[in-house]
Amino acid sequence: MTVEFSDLSCERCDLVTEHELHYAGRLLESVRCTRCGHRMMVSHQALVPAYLHDLEHRVVSKPQRMWRRAAQDPRGFIAGLPRAVVRQPPKFVRELWSLVRR
Amino acid sequence: MAATSGGTGGASGAAGAGPARAALVVLAAGEGSRVGHDTNKVLLPLAGRRVFTWSIRWAHSLPQVAQVVLVIREGDREQVMRALARELRDVRVTVVVGGSSRHESEWNALQALAPAIESGETDVVVIHDAARPLAAAQVFLDVIDAATLHGGALPVRDQPALTTLDESAEPAGRRTVAVQTPQAFRAAPLLEAYSRASADAFVGTDTASCVERYTDVAVHCVPGDAGNIKITFPEDLFLAERLLAKADYDLSSKPVPAPPLPGTRRRRSR
Repeated sequence: MTVEFSDLSCERCDLVTEHELHYAGRLLESVRCTRCGHRMMVSHQALVPAYLHDLEHRVVSKPQRMWRRAAQDPRGFIAGLPRAVVRQPPKFVRELWSLVRR
Repeated sequence: MAATSGGTGGASGAAGAGPARAALVVLAAGEGSRVGHDTNKVLLPLAGRRVFTWSIRWAHSLPQVAQVVLVIREGDREQVMRALARELRDVRVTVVVGGSSRHESEWNALQALAPAIESGETDVVVIHDAARPLAAAQVFLDVIDAATLHGGALPVRDQPALTTLDESAEPAGRRTVAVQTPQAFRAAPLLEAYSRASADAFVGTDTASCVERYTDVAVHCVPGDAGNIKITFPEDLFLAERLLAKADYDLSSKPVPAPPLPGTRRRRSR
């Protein structure tokens, strides 16, 4: 679960306020206004199919993205590959866990 | 001060006849009023990329777009350069720091483009709000074509639910539209308009207002796109995510089916 903060308009406060944004993988899962506490979130029923669709897109487009990076910066790509390979499984476990525990 | 990031540059058009050579100006400096963590919303992740890089990607898919100028806040520079290196490696982007208003940011970008405009390398300047990540390539193409033909072009959406009141508090009976970006203008008159505005200390509300004040260039309305939303409220991020997924993360050649809008009245959208 990634957390970001940004200034967005809050309909309840009628102001630009700081919001806390939670992401599940690449998808926005919930947003909370830090001033009034108003929270919006994607329902579990909607988030899981959206996550699976997004995951499918990520998997399908991965070879192309890897190829592009390798072509643009072969040395950097090769140097970063072992770390990226090691990082992926725990990253997916964290994403799935954040979905399951909602 | 301008800095350049990225790779080989866009596919510039041929000199003389052929497609217009356009420069894209993306405004990512924000409004200047910040609270809390002070994070610019155009730097938020949206479906795996930062909000501001999506629209540059669509515009850059057009052969007409030869130059990209990104207007940022100085405080965002590090994050912006990181995002450019990761997400737009193949796009040559000139980064300039914006001013305290949209008008000032546009003027800074035009000053960075001035040599190319004065030498005739740039025919059209396209100005786009980075908070509209879903502006499809087709909208960019429509405004570039219309600006080449008429002088200026704005994408608009009919707003039948809104009306205007004249002095007698009666509905004025004219159609009201919401104006979107990208907005495109012939480069030389645009630069001249902003030069004169700078001399007069005039600050316009949007690009078209400055062009209309200082030039006789006709500003033409082209059909906007309902999907070209501006990230303002939190729900806009959810919607943008869904629209991108629905389009299979590709707006590089999305058609814009909408009728022309004769006799319309301009109104700024939120």
